[in-house]
Amino acid sequence: MASIRGRLTIWYATALILSIAVFAVVLYFARRSATYQDLDRRIQSEADLTAGILAESYRARGVLVEKDTAGRPVLTQDVAAVLEVVPDFLLVTSRDGRLLFASPDARALTFTEFEQLNAVTRPPPAPPTGSVPHLTGRFRIEPNGPTLHYIVRAVPDAGEQFGAIFAGANTQSAELRLEQLITTILIAFVVGVVPAIFVGRWIAGRALEPVDRMITEVREITDGRTLHRRLALPMERDELSRLAETLNQMMARLERSFAALRRFTADASHELKTPLTVVRAGVERAITRPEMPPETLATLEETLQEVNRMTELLDALLTLARADEGRAELHREPVDLRHIIEEAGETGELLAEHAGVGIDIRLPSEPVVVSVDRSRVRQLALNLIENAVKYTPRGGQVSVELGNSNGRAVFTVADTGIGIAPGDLPHVFDRFWRADSARTRTSERAGTGLGLAICKWIAEAHGGTIEVQSRPGRGTTFTVGLPRG
Amino acid sequence: MKILVIEDDRTVGEYVRRGLDEAGYHVDLVGDGDEGLRRASGKGGGGGGGAGGGGGAGYDMMVLDLRLPKLSGIEVLRTLRDRGVGLPVLVLTAQDSVDFKVQALRMGADDYVTKPFAFEELLARVEALGRRPKAIAPPKLKVNGLVLDTGSREVTRDGKRIELTPKEYAVLEYLMRHQGRVMSRTLITEYAWDYHFDPGTNIVDVVITRLRKKIDHAKEPKLIHTVRGVGYVVRA
Repeated sequence: MASIRGRLTIWYATALILSIAVFAVVLYFARRSATYQDLDRRIQSEADLTAGILAESYRARGVLVEKDTAGRPVLTQDVAAVLEVVPDFLLVTSRDGRLLFASPDARALTFTEFEQLNAVTRPPPAPPTGSVPHLTGRFRIEPNGPTLHYIVRAVPDAGEQFGAIFAGANTQSAELRLEQLITTILIAFVVGVVPAIFVGRWIAGRALEPVDRMITEVREITDGRTLHRRLALPMERDELSRLAETLNQMMARLERSFAALRRFTADASHELKTPLTVVRAGVERAITRPEMPPETLATLEETLQEVNRMTELLDALLTLARADEGRAELHREPVDLRHIIEEAGETGELLAEHAGVGIDIRLPSEPVVVSVDRSRVRQLALNLIENAVKYTPRGGQVSVELGNSNGRAVFTVADTGIGIAPGDLPHVFDRFWRADSARTRTSERAGTGLGLAICKWIAEAHGGTIEVQSRPGRGTTFTVGLPRG
Repeated sequence: MKILVIEDDRTVGEYVRRGLDEAGYHVDLVGDGDEGLRRASGKGGGGGGGAGGGGGAGYDMMVLDLRLPKLSGIEVLRTLRDRGVGLPVLVLTAQDSVDFKVQALRMGADDYVTKPFAFEELLARVEALGRRPKAIAPPKLKVNGLVLDTGSREVTRDGKRIELTPKEYAVLEYLMRHQGRVMSRTLITEYAWDYHFDPGTNIVDVVITRLRKKIDHAKEPKLIHTVRGVGYVVRA
């Protein structure tokens, strides 16, 4: 669940960041273009205003150029005083290219800087439309002066005395405003996006909460023994309610197929066991009849053995079939494991005596009470002990031990027998697995091949574990751990 | 003692009937659930009232197969208990799943035997359910000078006490219960261990060797005899 929530958050955050970024870029360029338009309008109106003043004064007074004390031509004092108030860079030149007026900002420039302005102030070419000739542009005052937007225009209504008007504005304030805009956008971005990601995470969590609940519910239903329960359907007909419906349909199918499997195993066990009962009944009756001749009895005994073999195989198959179905059918009750191991141990002693193998049974002095299915654990213990004796050559040793470890009951059966090849170890608990013929003592028939598979099922159905360690030629140790309490 | 056996498989039914018959019980065998229920509830159908606290139309016990035509064993059991018939019921089932057994016991069965069963086991459960009066002490089994007290689980020969392990006791008891009859190794193993050993595991032979040392060693007559290829018999 954490991953979907994380992914949703990342997607959400990415979408948010992208859209904010697009918005910011659009905003920036819109602001930028508006700011420069303002600037351009300003210099345009400054130039127009200057041209207007010059034209007005010309109509009233005619000549507007006089000589200063050094003999250079300058704009008439009173007109110059009016233009003096114009901010930015304002230059007026004569028809022959001499400078007649420069605004205070322009006068504040160094000579080389000023010359760059002066060089631009040439009468612009006349446009084909017949409007006032003008020229706009942008340039940077070298080496490190400000960048200007400027306009150069002609002064057509003031006689022949004026060449061009130059009006230029420093872009610095505009740039500063755009920089502030970028800072503002960045701050808004951080302040807006980071909390939005957390909110998105929270929303994703909330949206997924019903899914979480559903997972818990489904787990409860499928873990339990009955598949009867169904998910509660949400009131709204949304995706989640469809998911719940789908899961419910799936569980209904599971329940049906489990029921069918159960019916099949029940039918199979009945159909197979009834004839076995009949065979067994006949054999048993005959075998316990006093007047039977010994040869017949021997045959009957063999038949009985085979019937038992089939019964055992059938029981084992049915047990494993049900285990596959996931139904741990255990009749649990608190049992002192020492009693079970002791009883199995006595049987082990008898088997060991017959096989010429030493056996050693160690039980703790304290009771080892565990809630288990008594007959299943007995089967497990007998199976492991029987195996250990079977695969230990004459003169070997089998050790059976019961103990406690980390709150678990631990039961080990170790032998000094022929061991299991490393390649075979992973398969010993497989169904119908049998060691190659070298493992089996001559003349002895192997069992069903299901014994250890059943052992594993018994241990695991109790919530326990079964492990095997073995070295060929040295011996094998089976360890069973069962949880206590 | 009257026992009603409800079993649809004729061979199994006959086998149970004959076996119980030989053990001294009076047995009626019916083949389906309807008929069985009618018999158990009493002919008038008023079984509950007529049979009193525990009775079922004159029967002392019922052996009931769970899978029956017409009316299943579980239904027979439920109907019977609903009518207040407290007759002890021993269930025969092919199912060895715990669930099923628990269900049968909840429905009011008193005990169950799983198919295929050793007749000995069925008989033991029938005897246990038969609620024989406690006054009759568990029998002492005797062969010549060998005495086995099934109550105290004490064994003596010529008055001298013999110590036996639980498995040795179980094997000897089984042989002495059927003294004079050859008991096969498989039957003995089933009785004493209730576990299927690998074929060829002659655990019974080991126990018999031990029993002989304790019982027959330096004594005459020998009581435990081998029947080659089959099993053992206890006889004087």
